[in-house]
Amino acid sequence: MILTVKNLSVTYGTKKAIDNISFSIKPGEVIGLLGANGAGKSSTIAAVLGIEKSNYEELTMLGKSPILHRKEVFQEVGVQFQETNFQDKLTVREACEQWESLYKQTADVPLLLETFGLVGKETQLVKSLSGGERQRLAVLLALISNPKLVFLDELTTGLDTRARRMLWKQLLTMKENGLAIVLTSHYMDEVEALCNEILILKEGKTVFHGTIQEAIRTSGKATLEDAYLNFAGQEDWV
Amino acid sequence: MSTFLTFLKIEGKLVWKGIDILIFGICFPIILATLFGYLLSNDGLAGASNFELSYASIITIGVLATGVMGVPLTIADYRHRGILKRFHVTPVSPLQILFAQGLIQLSSALVSFIGVTLVYHLLFDYELTGSWTIFLLTYAFVIVAMYSIGIFIGSLVPDQKSANVWSSVAYFTMLLFSGATIPYETMPRFFQWIMDILPLSHGIHLLKQASTGGSLTDGLFHIVILALCIVIGLGGAIKYFKWK
Repeated sequence: MILTVKNLSVTYGTKKAIDNISFSIKPGEVIGLLGANGAGKSSTIAAVLGIEKSNYEELTMLGKSPILHRKEVFQEVGVQFQETNFQDKLTVREACEQWESLYKQTADVPLLLETFGLVGKETQLVKSLSGGERQRLAVLLALISNPKLVFLDELTTGLDTRARRMLWKQLLTMKENGLAIVLTSHYMDEVEALCNEILILKEGKTVFHGTIQEAIRTSGKATLEDAYLNFAGQEDWV
Repeated sequence: MSTFLTFLKIEGKLVWKGIDILIFGICFPIILATLFGYLLSNDGLAGASNFELSYASIITIGVLATGVMGVPLTIADYRHRGILKRFHVTPVSPLQILFAQGLIQLSSALVSFIGVTLVYHLLFDYELTGSWTIFLLTYAFVIVAMYSIGIFIGSLVPDQKSANVWSSVAYFTMLLFSGATIPYETMPRFFQWIMDILPLSHGIHLLKQASTGGSLTDGLFHIVILALCIVIGLGGAIKYFKWK
């Protein structure tokens, strides 16, 4: 297992934001965390990364605790947050250079820039990029260390169709090469294209955990989208 | 290139592109130095003149502006905008970020030091009576103490608003009540008691004695106070550093 989470809970005051979540993934696997806004997807990621305080029975990445062995673990784990902010006046090249300097080994950055359609933007300020370009840069930075495990929080929100397809293709290639991915998404086509397993959250609790086929079968629905709405309890709204 | 050098290069460029460091760190102390040169008496019949004594004070203003103001505000801004959160999930250590920021701000404090020294020396014929070696060592010690206070504030404040409040409190009280702008000697006795609480007052006492070559009265006491700032400041910063 490259990531093991066992009975993870996050409490804000008296409210349990995340309630006993467990999942694990192997190299080359992709798990999708699904749920409505506020269901606890980002909080789960923050807790797993050690940013948010949590209680757990087990929490290991690459066999180590991300909290106690932060520096070692994050040599090989990449993260793209839902909202990525950069220093004012930072250029694309400087952002890449700074991120490259953090790791012992790094990927071929010019190649990544090409893959992510950012060639020719190197001297631009990150601030002046379009939303989609900034998003692609954030994913690029998460992959710059050639990680074994990567967290992608809403990776294609704000991207156009072509850019999404391009990103999927890139991630699928990396997945074949053994990259494990934890992602959150609101797009079921994306989930079907990338994920082996899904975990549907509702108010911080797991309401479904299994493969896409299992989700469709258990719910008795025809599509993943309908199955998802069924589990997430949002059917009545549609 | 190593992480630290890359941080120095990139963050340095970012900070130097900003205008605040130029105004508060460099221009303000140099303008004040010129004013002091014209205003303060250079009558040294009873020991060192007010003008001579003011050199030791005025070279701390750039240190205050960059160390106690610039460092915490930059760190709080990075925390507020989630930039530190992104660094949290990388192998970088908080010390590397803090020291890189500190060194960059220090570079402008040193430019200000050179500027003020040139103004005093070239325009007003100031000569340091004491030994330059002892004086510079004392100055370095005071700088480390002031930056420790700034790093401590920057590491602990939860948000930008409190960063603003605490760094302003530290900056303005020390700017006005430690002898950096208004000489300690001219303050009423009551204010001198208050001034004795502020760490920079002790730094300026030491610097004055070193610059005039005077014997170190209460030297050990001043040194202990500043050393405490360094230990508590840096120790607290490392122990309680907040990424978000």
